[in-house]
Amino acid sequence: MNYIKQEIKKGINFHKVNTNRFKTNLFAIFLTTPLKKESVTENALLPLVLKRGSAIMQTQELICKKLEDMYGASFDCGIDKSGNNHVIKFYLETLNNNMIPTNENIVEEAFKLLFDIIFNPLIINEGFKEQYIDGEKNKLKQIINSKIDNKAKYAMDRCIEEMYKGKPYELCKYGYIEDLNKINGDSLYEYYKQLINECKIDIFISGDAEDNIIDIIKNNEQIKNLNERDAKYTINGDNEEKDEVEIKLVEEAMDVMQGKLVLGLDVVDVEENEKYAVSVYNIILGGSANSKLFQNVREKASLAYTAGSSYLRQKNNIIIKCGIEIENYEKAIEIIKEQLKEMEDGKFTDEDIENAKNIIISTVDGIPDSQDSEISYYLGQELTRQFVSLHEYIEKIKNVKKEDVELISKKIKINTIYFLKNDK
Amino acid sequence: MKLIESLNIKEKAYIEKLENGMTVIIIPKNTTNKKYIIWGVNFGSIDNHFKINGEEIYIPDGVAHFLEHKMFEQENGTNSLDKLMALGIDANAYTTNDHTAYLFECTEHFYEGLDELMDYVQNPYFTDDNVEKEKGIISQEIRMYDDEPGWQLYMSVLDCLYKENPIKIDIAGTVDSIRKINKDTLYKCYNTFYVPNNMTLVVCGNFQPQEILKQVKDRLIKNTIEDKIERIYPEIEQKINKKNIEKEMNVSMPLFAIGFKDIEGMNDEIVKKHIAIEILLNILVGKSSNLYKELYDAGTILEEPDMDYEFSKQYAHVVISGQSEKPEDIYNKLKKQIEEYIKNGLDSKHFERIKKKVYGDYVVEYNNISDISRMFLSDSMKNISSFDYIEQYNQVSKDYTQKILKEIFNTDSMVMAIIKPKK
Repeated sequence: MNYIKQEIKKGINFHKVNTNRFKTNLFAIFLTTPLKKESVTENALLPLVLKRGSAIMQTQELICKKLEDMYGASFDCGIDKSGNNHVIKFYLETLNNNMIPTNENIVEEAFKLLFDIIFNPLIINEGFKEQYIDGEKNKLKQIINSKIDNKAKYAMDRCIEEMYKGKPYELCKYGYIEDLNKINGDSLYEYYKQLINECKIDIFISGDAEDNIIDIIKNNEQIKNLNERDAKYTINGDNEEKDEVEIKLVEEAMDVMQGKLVLGLDVVDVEENEKYAVSVYNIILGGSANSKLFQNVREKASLAYTAGSSYLRQKNNIIIKCGIEIENYEKAIEIIKEQLKEMEDGKFTDEDIENAKNIIISTVDGIPDSQDSEISYYLGQELTRQFVSLHEYIEKIKNVKKEDVELISKKIKINTIYFLKNDK
Repeated sequence: MKLIESLNIKEKAYIEKLENGMTVIIIPKNTTNKKYIIWGVNFGSIDNHFKINGEEIYIPDGVAHFLEHKMFEQENGTNSLDKLMALGIDANAYTTNDHTAYLFECTEHFYEGLDELMDYVQNPYFTDDNVEKEKGIISQEIRMYDDEPGWQLYMSVLDCLYKENPIKIDIAGTVDSIRKINKDTLYKCYNTFYVPNNMTLVVCGNFQPQEILKQVKDRLIKNTIEDKIERIYPEIEQKINKKNIEKEMNVSMPLFAIGFKDIEGMNDEIVKKHIAIEILLNILVGKSSNLYKELYDAGTILEEPDMDYEFSKQYAHVVISGQSEKPEDIYNKLKKQIEEYIKNGLDSKHFERIKKKVYGDYVVEYNNISDISRMFLSDSMKNISSFDYIEQYNQVSKDYTQKILKEIFNTDSMVMAIIKPKK
């Protein structure tokens, strides 16, 4: 395997993905912490503030000039939900040494820059710089408000929110404006110190870096300063009980030309090992052009251009999405329900199973062709109880039988039907 | 086969012009699991007026895209997209202003996929029923774009820049225009444009160049060069259409797009010009620019705007777009900044730094086989060799870049489109 994991300190791990497929090295650092209403907004604001300047490079302009000088190295940060965890992500991509006309070695420099931004921030009088806080609060506010701009995405997020009312997963990963207003430079710095002491830290490099890179990291001043920790995070995939619910119907109106229909399904009572069969179920239902949804909603009834489903593995949900004419709502729901019924009645063939497996296997086979995907895969494994290699993953998919998928089809329950329609 | 090579980034490509006029480009990549193939037809949304055997023909907007949708259907009732997906092959197609492309990527079953791809692209099957049925689907695709503020913004800025140019036409057409499309329109366009001398095929992955070339040739049906297509475009307009366009949509913050028209468009130095424009855009409003800092500190802009130079023989323009509460402020300050650089010249250190960055951006394009293949296809449609961006980068001097600044960033005819939040 081209993947090595090593503990740097308790709660802090180094992961190396050896690959010669790319022109670049990709460095990534993930800070993982449980998803909670109290901290979700601070988590979202932190990377934005950190990227404004470190103790050493105090402005984003300086950081940016440094990156440009490193032949357009690119730095990026973001935030994601992974099951009931909130993950703050930092990435730095640099050209491989042999792609740089002067053959400079910039690996060490790149790590140093990344560590400085995250672990050695610019602090003034025990707080983050107020000017940066104000600017980035304003920016985060805009990010939160802009969730209405992409209507399809908005509809999906709203459906998930409705499905998880009162539970951590309902939370918007960008946080909430009412909480944002309460944050200042001092309070965020207090939170930052606590987070850095308690969160799970994973450091990744994908590329052709030399093996002594681990020593370089261990000897970095910022890494030395970090303490050991019992990292607080939630292990994904531990069975979360799904209550049997009445189907919840939610409609919302906005100025749209096309209705966005989203159905959130629960997959009740599945063990970790059964999830491979759920993946196969999902592909047959709506995960490809030969799926039941694509064939029946789009190809036969001509109701939609987009019609399909996706599987949220960590939360055991399948989300169905279609863009339709507003007046076709009833018709679309009827066809979708028919497809779920067909699945439940076992009306799919061995060939459907084989085809679905082919699609999943091909996707997994392609993971090492993208540095970001490969890192994300290993982070995903890191946050579950059991490590499954890409090879094992494929084997487990290959072993799925028709009866496994039939069993799954009886465990699918509609939780929420969400419809975004026109306000006229 | 002609071999072209880029020593800087250690990549090579083989190019063959077949007897029937089709171009095949092979980019070997020995380290990837995935294989990628893309077959492009030089027929896009701007090709709506042409001559066949002396007869002048106008077609409804959206035909190239409609054809793309319908190519997958086979006479025996099967659908090629389904067949490819069943093999675990990720297949797709898309239409742009100037070309239509059919593609797939896979890790296994490549040659079965090749059979299917080359079969369906060479064997159209249109009926009144299957054409009629597609109208519902494409209408929903158009509706989807109607709800996308970014797309509406882009169409508006093109409307500012051009009065008659066919680039203004929505690639998918409109719900009304596609109603006029029938199977005869599709066959007529298919027979005119889907001829080998109007097509380019690109493969990237772990291939032996000779072997894959032979496999492609064996599956080609047409072996002769067909008549040249006579495309008719309106004359290139020297002037802009409108300075400003404003629309309202349900968005959280105004979206703006500032446009500059490049009247000369494609010339012999197009790659050099393109590189210079990318350097200029970074210098003007990129993340390390003075203007960006000023706008960011004032809260006028929240992230780096998108910057793009788009060109063909029929159009060429620069578009800078983003979101801001004060688009007019950005417009005015950008204008002032351009005028200052024209007057005082560019800073040498800044120029050299950005040049390094732009070089890095080009190299990163070679990380992904689908990016590589699409880039070679779309460049090849413009008679450009993609490696030229790496090889000619060193020839772009500060003086040359300054000359391009004066030519293209003409502040008298700088346009702006805005999508405002609905009150």
